[in-house]
Amino acid sequence: MIKIRKRAADAWFGVLALIVFVFSVFPVYWMLNTSFLPNNRIRGENLAFFPTPDVFTLNNYRAAMFGEARAPFPPAVLNSIGVTFLTLVIALVVGFLAALALTRFSFKGRRTFIVLILVVQMIPGEAMIISLFRIIDGWQLLNTIIGLTLVYSAGVLPFTIWTLRGFVNGVPKELEEAAMIDGCSPAGAFWRVTFPLLAPGLVATGVFAFIQAWNEFVMALVVMQRPEAMTLPLWLRTFVQATQATNWGAVMAAAVLIAIPVVVFFLIVQGRMTGGLVSGAVKG
Amino acid sequence: MPAVGARPGLSSQVSKGSTSEGRLSGRQDMSSVLQKPPAPTRQLIRQKRRPSYLPWLLLSASMILVGVMTGYPVVRLLVMSFQEYERAQLMGQPAEWVGLDNYATVLTDVEGFWTVLARSFALMVVLVVTTLVLGMLVALLMIRIGKGMRLLVSVGLLLAWAMPSLAATTVWGWVFDTQYGVVNNLLTAITGDRWFGHSWLLNPWSFFLILTCIVVWGAVPFVAFTLYAGLTQIPEEVMEAAQLDGASAFQRFRLIQVPYVRSIITVLVILSMIWDLKLFTQVFVLQDIGGDRELTNTIGVYVYQMGMAQGHYGLASAIGVIFVIVMLAISYPYVRRTLREEEL
Amino acid sequence: MNKNRLVGAAASAITLTLALSACGNAGGSPAAEPTGPGEVRVWLVGSDTPPEARDYLKKTFEEQNEGSTLVIEEQAWEGLVDKYTTALSGSDAPDVVEIGNTQAAAFTSAGYFREITADEFETLGGDDLIPGFVEAGDWEDKHYALPYYSGSRVVFYSKQVLGDTPVPTTLDEYVETAVDMTTDDLSGVYWPGQDWYNALPFIWENGGFVAEQAEDGTWEAGFSSEGGLAGLEQIQTIMTEGNNAPADANETDLQVPFCEGKVGFLSAPSWIQWSIKAPEKPEDPEGVPGCESTYGSDLEGMALPGKDGGAAQVFAGGSNIAIAQKSARPDLAMSAYEIILSDEYQSILAGMGLFPAKTSLFEKVDQSTSIGKAAAEAAANAKLTPASPKWADVESKMLLQNAFSKIASGEDVQTVAEQLDADIEEILNS
Repeated sequence: MIKIRKRAADAWFGVLALIVFVFSVFPVYWMLNTSFLPNNRIRGENLAFFPTPDVFTLNNYRAAMFGEARAPFPPAVLNSIGVTFLTLVIALVVGFLAALALTRFSFKGRRTFIVLILVVQMIPGEAMIISLFRIIDGWQLLNTIIGLTLVYSAGVLPFTIWTLRGFVNGVPKELEEAAMIDGCSPAGAFWRVTFPLLAPGLVATGVFAFIQAWNEFVMALVVMQRPEAMTLPLWLRTFVQATQATNWGAVMAAAVLIAIPVVVFFLIVQGRMTGGLVSGAVKG
Repeated sequence: MPAVGARPGLSSQVSKGSTSEGRLSGRQDMSSVLQKPPAPTRQLIRQKRRPSYLPWLLLSASMILVGVMTGYPVVRLLVMSFQEYERAQLMGQPAEWVGLDNYATVLTDVEGFWTVLARSFALMVVLVVTTLVLGMLVALLMIRIGKGMRLLVSVGLLLAWAMPSLAATTVWGWVFDTQYGVVNNLLTAITGDRWFGHSWLLNPWSFFLILTCIVVWGAVPFVAFTLYAGLTQIPEEVMEAAQLDGASAFQRFRLIQVPYVRSIITVLVILSMIWDLKLFTQVFVLQDIGGDRELTNTIGVYVYQMGMAQGHYGLASAIGVIFVIVMLAISYPYVRRTLREEEL
Repeated sequence: MNKNRLVGAAASAITLTLALSACGNAGGSPAAEPTGPGEVRVWLVGSDTPPEARDYLKKTFEEQNEGSTLVIEEQAWEGLVDKYTTALSGSDAPDVVEIGNTQAAAFTSAGYFREITADEFETLGGDDLIPGFVEAGDWEDKHYALPYYSGSRVVFYSKQVLGDTPVPTTLDEYVETAVDMTTDDLSGVYWPGQDWYNALPFIWENGGFVAEQAEDGTWEAGFSSEGGLAGLEQIQTIMTEGNNAPADANETDLQVPFCEGKVGFLSAPSWIQWSIKAPEKPEDPEGVPGCESTYGSDLEGMALPGKDGGAAQVFAGGSNIAIAQKSARPDLAMSAYEIILSDEYQSILAGMGLFPAKTSLFEKVDQSTSIGKAAAEAAANAKLTPASPKWADVESKMLLQNAFSKIASGEDVQTVAEQLDADIEEILNS
């Protein structure tokens, strides 16, 4: 009797799980579907719900990447990769050192610093665009990867420090002390004992820096004004606001191209990510 | 095996670490007695003599970066909020000091500033509650279902999570497109009425409905994964014992699961609050696709429009300052709690 | 004590930055104007400037300035004011920029553009330049942005779609015809809700106004005036009963529904004719297909009929062109500027159906076709939006787009008009 009821319940939960799956996946699926369909099959009564071989086309990708009317794709990819990579490295290295100082040392001014890091995150970034623009302009760094990287690194750093601090806190100090007693130098103890335990935390934090830098477009709009300096989000926006066609097939192909690296990155790091997030959150 | 299957990495590693710690400290006791007396002493001394400039050295890079790239703009923000600063000033004309005029203009603008602020907060509450509730439900569901289904759900959530928000908003805009969107197409097929040409973004209510869909869709995976990882750490015996004691599913949820992940929930709420209040990309892009800016502005977009689009940098700065003050007031309890913890 | 040190460190970091950025700004103003070969960047907006004109500009410039290059970077109309605000104030500013005639005042008033001296003005065309557009680019009796081209809207139609329906000769007939023709599959007048340029003639023809400045300098908006409301009523009738276009769409790709044969009348810029007459299978994989063999084959044009017949007063669409104040090479920029305003370059624009910057070249616009004739009639009756530097704010806030979207979705005309007037007055009088 109980078993039957349990099985009925299982079926219901299965249905619920399916609904969650469908809702999560549908926009992604629809993006892929549209990107592989010719223009006359993505609208109206002719709508195709699956890119069957007879209608399947790569024209949208060709249009998105090589269409003459568009901003060029290859430099946008290179710029985005450059900015994202540099931001990620700077944010993690600099943020990690700061997190270390805030957790492994007690010094006066520490609390002030922590509060500042928290408060800084509450400032609406949109209000600082113009000042940031003038700094970057003053340094002659407009339209350069370095200029945009500086803006992004500073933008993600407070959150990075905040999260990493949680992770470093999560590794007991006694571990290092024990290692030091075993003859390690403080740096050596940290490097051999604590650092490996922090890998998930670094990954989790890195994901945020990565998404931020890959996605951001308002500062990019202001700092990267030449067509050859565009990043991918700016490139995608030229599609949506194009004065010519709103060619949804090409727009979706462009969206796919932007999403792919993020999905790949997520697949690589996923195992470490959630674990990291929990510990970080618990200690945060 | 996607995200969820993996055990929460750090915690298991930490517990491994704790055992080794036990081992090490055991040895310490012994060694301090006899075996290697000089080593620990030297180490301990060195530790005590850690130079006081070391933490500042470690902090220097971030202090320079944040100080220059955030500190200076913040100072400028404050200065500009007391000036009449428009496009002409950007071209080098000297700015005029206007005292508190900008603040007065903003604070008396009921139809503009206050409406936008209220709207942003209402939206934030809806978004945070919806995200947290749905996230919790999905996390509970993932515990309840079998391995195969869990893999399926995880894949779906991971895809939604990984979609960059700009791309995601564009895709949702296409799904709800007025003329050719699949939603209007399906509604026409199902209801038999003519839905082609129905604009979802024009009406502010359905605009915010779609906005909520987009944000929640993108935010639930993070919440669900995090809560799931937290819930799986509850020892199985505890849940079983409760069940044997006759606790209903809801009682177990309320009395065991929620308290166990309470600290996670707190952090998720704080993070979601900050993120949702500062929401920008989704609103900005949806307004581009269609939608009445005046009736759908949230604080971030409003500041952008005031400054970048209309060139009133003084007013935009004043709004920024006021917003930070409001945020500080709201988060004061959290800041204080954090500080108390720091004292320990 | 350490706390003080932190504050001290932060303070010195900030001082350092202030010093650094001060240096940077000082370096921005050129000490000596460089000479010799260089690069000139020209920002053109949208795809209105035909490829022939772009090629001519680049070729001629590089012939006249040996060793120098000219790069054309196409900008989008959407978010244009935002972008110019920063881009033109920075050290890497473009040299020559196109700007919508209604947006020019926001920049001329703030010193974004280099002044065109009286002598230069004479050389570039002087009184021959379209007066209304010259005025749009003036600030305090000095010239900053000169006309680039103008192009008022023309009503397109194809006899294949109209059939026996007579072509309307007054504005009221136009409204009636639109409503009569419309079915689920056919828009009498195809009119996306955000297309406000097409709405202004209805306001003006019914005796309304957009905004007028009183003696004391305050602005009064006139959508809720008697004439304004009458115009809005007519607009709503067409939009809701004579039109299937989405209420929230803008005026991109108007040729697409037209080429599907689903449009009776289409009021659009005259250069749209080339998109309609384009081949069905474009060479560029992304090119938008036209319909040269079907509805493009018998394309006709007429000026929007006025209240009492004749041509209605329409919105004078078009652009101005200016040299950026921060241009690194004003000498080269002026050279490109001269080419753009030359008779040769402007004649190429005229050949495409755009009205050139100089009135003497109007005759170069082919008026043998009904479309050309209609364009000339419309241009003769064209009017501009209120001459206030704040008008650009009205546009960047999309107030008109939003208001007409609401009217298209059937909201109460009076309410929308009053709200719109209040919003416009608030901006213009701020």
